[in-house]
Amino acid sequence: MLPESAEVVLFAAFALAFALVFAPAAAPRRALLFRGGAGLAGTIAIAAVPTFELVLLTLLTLGVLNAAVDGKQQLAVRLRAPVLAVAVFAMGLVLARAAGPEVLDRFAAVGLVAGVAAGIGLLPYLHPFDPEDAVTGSPVAWMAFIGPALAVVVVAGTRGLLPAEAGGVFGAMLIGVGLLNVAWGGVAAWLTENTVAAWRYSFTADWGLAMCGFGLTVVDGRRAALLVLFSIVLCRLPLYLASPQSLRARTATERPVNLVVAAALAGSAPFAGFAARVLLLRGATQVFWPLGLVLAVGMLLWLPGSLRLGRSLGVPRGRQALGVALVLALNVAVGLYPLPLLEAARL
Amino acid sequence: MFEAGAALVAWLGMSLVVLADGRRGLALGAALATAGVALVVIQSAGPIDAGALTLGGAVMAVRRLANGPGGWQLMPPGSTPRLVLCIAAGLLALWIAFSVTTGAGAALRFAVMTVVGLAGARVLSSDEPSVLLTALGLLALAIAAITGMGEAWQGPWPYVAAGLFAAAVGWLPVRAPHAA
Repeated sequence: MLPESAEVVLFAAFALAFALVFAPAAAPRRALLFRGGAGLAGTIAIAAVPTFELVLLTLLTLGVLNAAVDGKQQLAVRLRAPVLAVAVFAMGLVLARAAGPEVLDRFAAVGLVAGVAAGIGLLPYLHPFDPEDAVTGSPVAWMAFIGPALAVVVVAGTRGLLPAEAGGVFGAMLIGVGLLNVAWGGVAAWLTENTVAAWRYSFTADWGLAMCGFGLTVVDGRRAALLVLFSIVLCRLPLYLASPQSLRARTATERPVNLVVAAALAGSAPFAGFAARVLLLRGATQVFWPLGLVLAVGMLLWLPGSLRLGRSLGVPRGRQALGVALVLALNVAVGLYPLPLLEAARL
Repeated sequence: MFEAGAALVAWLGMSLVVLADGRRGLALGAALATAGVALVVIQSAGPIDAGALTLGGAVMAVRRLANGPGGWQLMPPGSTPRLVLCIAAGLLALWIAFSVTTGAGAALRFAVMTVVGLAGARVLSSDEPSVLLTALGLLALAIAAITGMGEAWQGPWPYVAAGLFAAAVGWLPVRAPHAA
């Protein structure tokens, strides 16, 4: 298992433990344990299996189980996104392994990027979303739990699969998909009517930054991507889980804690998201400085959406307040001193 | 020549799965597609790997024969787009596998591309659980067959995993959607 993917699996395990301990009292913990445990087992399998084919089979199994067990929509609707991901990924894999003209490798890169985007549930392949779905059955489970390991494994695996030129195309497409998600997710998290949908779009926007980081061919980009994944799995997801789910659509408070949470979600200093953004801007400037400018403008889109999401948290009390405090402290620690996290991933 | 014939059988079986809505048609399609893929794999991998795929596909086909909408329901009214899809996908895959790409394993490339493409299309366009689960099983078998295109031998695990998936997916309890 790659150190980077092992670290992401560890993030997911922490997130599951957090959910079990700090989720609102109304959340059914036994179902969370079983479904979250199955998801974690799948995530470990994605990170640990030695071949892309086994990654795809694991992804397919997770998709089928998730579609069959959870959610309010019918099986066919819930199966479409994971099956599309696996199918386009498989096509990309066939083209990457076949000998032929150079253009085949570019098509392979298209298939691999499309597969990652569809597997995670990013634009242009957003998973069907129902605000009433439980977290384990909603697209958030793919974005914040299974997706990070999938992205790390695929990006690392394509280095040996695609030749150098197609690797550049792969990176450029990741950046393109990333910018699309930054813009769409940022605006939608701000302007969409439903607060639960706004949370989902905020995950999309964060993923946009991670895709840009993966797409940059410099080490700062990969470091930034890892920190963005950290902030998705161990900042945004726990805060999403800590918000009172039944009241999420109508709770809106403006206490200091809501502003602090908004700052953490927006990637302000001194939280982990800030370190990720600094590294991303540095990496983008090294590669192509106008990209850094575009990213800097895109990052401003986090502000209005994060203020809205921070307010939707309400006033956490008791166990939830403790959970929120722990998440914020952890993110401050990683934001101030991210080196151990990066060194553990050998970045 | 033998490989090319096997790949054609895989396309024919997958086309049957696309064109049929009844359990007999689906089961026959699944059996043919499995046989085609396994016969291609036996050339590129080995008998154990191909055996794992065959076993998984056979269990899936038998299960399908016992479960799902009755009869053949082959090409029900409104199936013209499906027929066009099968022919177009076959021709496109044939062109890519035998003409655009080079080197050995053209039949394997053709079989994998047709099964993956048509199974994906079938899942995206159908609502019937028995159809979805059959297409999913075949998709898994085709994914395992990609292993044969790699330069290094990767062990039998992808084939075994795909065979298990195909055998098990037919038993998946399909829950009715919750009322809104």
